[in-house]
Formats: sequence, C-alpha cells, structure tokens
Amino acid sequence: MRVLALVPAFNEAANLPRVLDGLRAAAGALRQDVAVVDDGSSDDTAAVARGWGALALRSPVNLGIGGAVQIGYLWARAHAYDIAVQIDGDGQHDPADIAALVGPLLEGRADLVVGSRFLEAGGFRSTSLRRAGIRYLSALLRLRCGARFTDPTSGFRAAGPRALDLFAASYPSDYPEPESLALAVRAGLRVVEVPVRMREREHGDSSIGALRTLYYLLKVTLALVLLPIRRSTPARAEEGTT
Amino acid sequence: MSETPLVPARLQAAAALVLIVQLLWVAGLVRSRRLGLRDSFLWLLSTLVALALTAFPGVLRVAARELRVEVPSNALFAAAIVYILVNQLGATVALSASGARIRRLAQESALLRGELEVLRARVERLGGAPSASALEPGQSPGR
Repeated sequence: MRVLALVPAFNEAANLPRVLDGLRAAAGALRQDVAVVDDGSSDDTAAVARGWGALALRSPVNLGIGGAVQIGYLWARAHAYDIAVQIDGDGQHDPADIAALVGPLLEGRADLVVGSRFLEAGGFRSTSLRRAGIRYLSALLRLRCGARFTDPTSGFRAAGPRALDLFAASYPSDYPEPESLALAVRAGLRVVEVPVRMREREHGDSSIGALRTLYYLLKVTLALVLLPIRRSTPARAEEGTT
Repeated sequence: MSETPLVPARLQAAAALVLIVQLLWVAGLVRSRRLGLRDSFLWLLSTLVALALTAFPGVLRVAARELRVEVPSNALFAAAIVYILVNQLGATVALSASGARIRRLAQESALLRGELEVLRARVERLGGAPSASALEPGQSPGR
C-alpha cells in the first residue's frame, strides 16, 4: 500500500516545517512519501520542502488551490500510489489524524474520506458567519446530490484509487472542495466523513477573507446548481478543468 | 405612404466605410498572424452581417415593425449591441479555453520538475553527483 501525502502550499515557508515534521512523526506504520505542491510561491516554500526531504512539485504560476491540488493527484496517479492524503501546508490540519482518514480506505468501505471539524461537539470554533456559510453549503450539497456532509469545505482528505483517478481527470478551479465532493458522489464514489481536529494558523492569514466568502458562496452555488447539466469530462480544449 | 429612410444615404455610406475598415483591419491582423484564423471568424462573420444590414436597411425596418419597435433606429442600436455581445462572448470563451490550457501546461511543468528532481537524486545516489550546470542544455546529464 503506497501512500502519498500531498501538501498544497502557497507562500507557506514559515508554516511548512511544522507540518512536515508532524507528517514524519505521524507516519507510523504507514510508508508514506511526501509531495509539497508549491503553487507558484514567491518565498522559499519549494526550497524548504526539498531541504526537509520532500518532493517539491513547483508550478511556475499561481493556479489557485484547485489547480495545485490536481498536480498532486496527477503525480499520485502517474506514480501508482494507492492513496493520496491531502493536507494543507498552513498547519491547520493535524497530521496525527491521517491514520483516522486512511482507516476507511484500508477497510475498503470508502473511496474518499473527508476530515470534518464539526463531527464532534466542541471540535472547532469558527465565526458564526462562517458556520452559517458551511451549513448553507451542506444543505445545498444534500439538495443537489443527496449526500450529507458536516464540513463540505474541508481540504483535509484521503483519496483511494477511484478518487485519485477522478480528481486527476477533473478537479474544479477556485474554492474546489464542495464541488469536488459533489463530483465524487455523482461519479458513484463512496464518500465518508471522519472527525478531525483543526488548529488556528500560526503564521499569515487564511486565503479566504471576509469579502471573498461571498464570492465563494456564489461560485459554489452556481457550480452545484449547474452540476447536472455540465459534462463531467471537460471538452477537448479544456482538459483538466471543470 | 412614403417612408423616410431609416438611415440617410450619407450616414449609410459612412457606416459602410467604418465596417469595411473594420473588415480590412481584422484581415490585416490575420495576415500578420496577430489574430488567429479561428478567432477571426466571428468578427468577419458578424461584420459581414452588419455590412449587409447597412446595404439593405429595409430589413431592419421590417424587423422593427414586426417586433413593434416604436422608433426604427432603436432596432439599429439593438442590433449593434447584439453585434458587440456576440463578439465579447466569443472572446470570453477563447479566454476560458486559454486559461484551461495554461493551467494544464503549468501542471505538466510542475510534474516534469518533479520527475527531474527524482531523476537528479537518483543520478546523485549512483555517484554521478551532477552539478546544477551538468543538466544545462547542450551537456549530457550525469557522468
């Protein structure tokens, strides 16, 4: 069983060492390679990753989280990994939870496992606005594809072979998480949530500010509303996006 | 009843002149390869349609009457707006396709950098110890 930890990072040179050390400590019995996807950072994110001994997949331009994460899935598929664990490079995800994420894949009862902040009471405190947005997205996802998710914006997830193939072939662009869940459910994948802890960032700001939240919600709403009438595989000239 | 012309003859000539200059401009851009043939089609087609309407403004008058447009010249403005919208949408579609290709290329480039890194590490392990310059173009890697 080959596992790739894929860490999307944009200007995260300050947070990255802690994440990578956490990954090493949490690896345990799982043999796990680490690939940092450097999404066109202007700091030494890629150098920090290489210095630590991780593979650095460096995009020459900033693609945004969707395009960056897909680089990791393409690499995982090209190198015949069985599982790819996606964990943010900003330190908000705890690598100790990876075992819990990978569990349902190893037991063969899921194709995609999503780490949820909200599955356990008192797990994570967030602003009421953000919580309302997440509840709204959950309701929308339930409406559009009949699946229940408590934390549809989570970028902490483990993908088995079927999810790897799907995400390598098509992955949404900005704010891709809720839409990618819908894609997975519609492709017939078994998607499971497990509770995880999330931490506050140590350095820098989250990529989602207050004003962008509105664009986030509108974009994801549009994507989910249009979901049934869009082709699941992109047209010839647009390979790789949805 | 005698209808006043929708477009006075002089204005008609001026409009035709502008559209012909526009056609020649697009053709010139295609000739100098600054505009792709594919991207020029919509411009050429829509400009030819506009030129045809200028030559036969009666078509617009009939359309305006059928659509109950009170002032026939408003039909002209509507047609001009549609002309711009069609070309604008065409440009946005081309932009999206370009964006998707750039994304794909950037991803491919990141994957190739990864492959290069892996190969370089393997060569180093084999005792090749290539300096960074050993992989510059024109020199054989390793050794």
